[in-house]
Amino acid sequence: MIERWALVSGLKGDLETYEMIQSDLKKTRGVKTLFILGDMIGPERNCDALLNRLQNPRRGDLQPQCIYGWWEEQLLAEQGLRGEQKADALRLNQGEEAVTALLNAVNSTHLKWLASLQFGFIELDCGLIHGSSADIGDNLTSETSPLILIDRLTRLDVNRLFTAHSTEQFHLELTGGGLNSHVKDLNGESQYQQKVSKQSIIGIGAGEYYTIYDVGSDKTHFLSVGGQYNTKGKGFA
Amino acid sequence: MKHAVISCLHANLAAVKAVLKDIDQKGISDITCLGDLVGYGPQPNEVVDLIRERAIASCQGCWDEDIIEGLNACECSYPSQLAEKRGHLAHEWTAEQLTDINKDFLASLPTSIRRDRILFVHGSPNSQHEYLLPDMNAFAALERVDKAGADTLFCGHTHQPYVRELKNGSIRVRLQNTSNNNAEEKEINLPMRKIVNAGSVGEPRHGSTNATYVIHDDVTGEVEIKEVAYDIELTCQAIIDAGLPRIFAWRLSHGFEFAEQAEDASHVCER
Repeated sequence: MIERWALVSGLKGDLETYEMIQSDLKKTRGVKTLFILGDMIGPERNCDALLNRLQNPRRGDLQPQCIYGWWEEQLLAEQGLRGEQKADALRLNQGEEAVTALLNAVNSTHLKWLASLQFGFIELDCGLIHGSSADIGDNLTSETSPLILIDRLTRLDVNRLFTAHSTEQFHLELTGGGLNSHVKDLNGESQYQQKVSKQSIIGIGAGEYYTIYDVGSDKTHFLSVGGQYNTKGKGFA
Repeated sequence: MKHAVISCLHANLAAVKAVLKDIDQKGISDITCLGDLVGYGPQPNEVVDLIRERAIASCQGCWDEDIIEGLNACECSYPSQLAEKRGHLAHEWTAEQLTDINKDFLASLPTSIRRDRILFVHGSPNSQHEYLLPDMNAFAALERVDKAGADTLFCGHTHQPYVRELKNGSIRVRLQNTSNNNAEEKEINLPMRKIVNAGSVGEPRHGSTNATYVIHDDVTGEVEIKEVAYDIELTCQAIIDAGLPRIFAWRLSHGFEFAEQAEDASHVCER
């Protein structure tokens, strides 16, 4: 049976885009699960309508499964609901005005729901996280050193890591290679080679750019709102 | 020139004196310490005083950090709740014993020391609490050293000395994104890097009761792991006299970590 996941992030309060994605997904065969990998909120617009919709899906909507992202973490930190720091990263990068705008963009009635969201999901042998398990703001891109990518996969003990923070759509597959390790201790010396496992990092995009993952064939399809999903297409395996 | 690297002294004065004497006898004057001057052992002030007197360049270890920052700084994972309780006891006892001057000294220690392309840390460049074990994923180990901008990384924390060379590595990748219809394939050659774990002076857990440290020749790159016998009975008696958990003396006299195989074997410290 065909099973596909839809992976969305970076809506930042944009209900219109979310509705268009829901509309696209209704036309896409086999999409059983919708994952929203954070950044549902942002400072640019009021986010309440989108947050209401995510918590109260309309009939026919694919039920979204949400985790929190970088913007949610900043808001929760500023509200004293996450960690000991305020929204220092946002304040440092974009100034006090952005912090104020973020606070104004989300009604406090949503804070409890936002605070209840998980950091990530592990589904099958896939990790789904906004950034990575190293940091919610981990900016993994197609240019990131493969050493770092292997580290992030190793930390989660998964074969595929779906990430969103960079907003880039990419599928980087580790296809081969190895590394020799020579260890000397008080018991003697040993040598072995560690092979590169076949693993992938997938950047799912943001906003109107989203990703469909075909669980059975292990293929990813990068889409944009209104774009045609071609089930006969090859996808990126 | 040769220099010595010591780590994890853990308030064991007899072991520290024996190791420093061994280093002195070899005519080595350049010594770097990778932290954990205190914790578990019965002579925290004496050990810190000695390191200060000898002006030995030191990093801050996880125990040193915890004594200053409080237990909330700890990200360790004790193997059991009993082990965690013992850790609490040792922490409280050590915090009570340490003088303000020595606490200030521990607070002043850097988390890393860099000499050109050599980096000295307690746990890893990421954290004083991260264990770089000799069998950890080789790529992840290489990432720790390479990302820190070092050729050789000296660390401690595991209490098990080793030298690990990572070499002749490569990674092949295939990249597909929205701007290229055809997958782009490439191979990346990885740099050669070295991790040196100095083991532990004051609480060895490598299967022998001897204190360990390493000597590094920065011309040849050679690393020797050294073992030094010391008066274990003296430290064990001092642990008991101080009222610290007797198990600390037991494991000093056996040379490995004692962890109960209890009903809480999966316990992970989350303080």
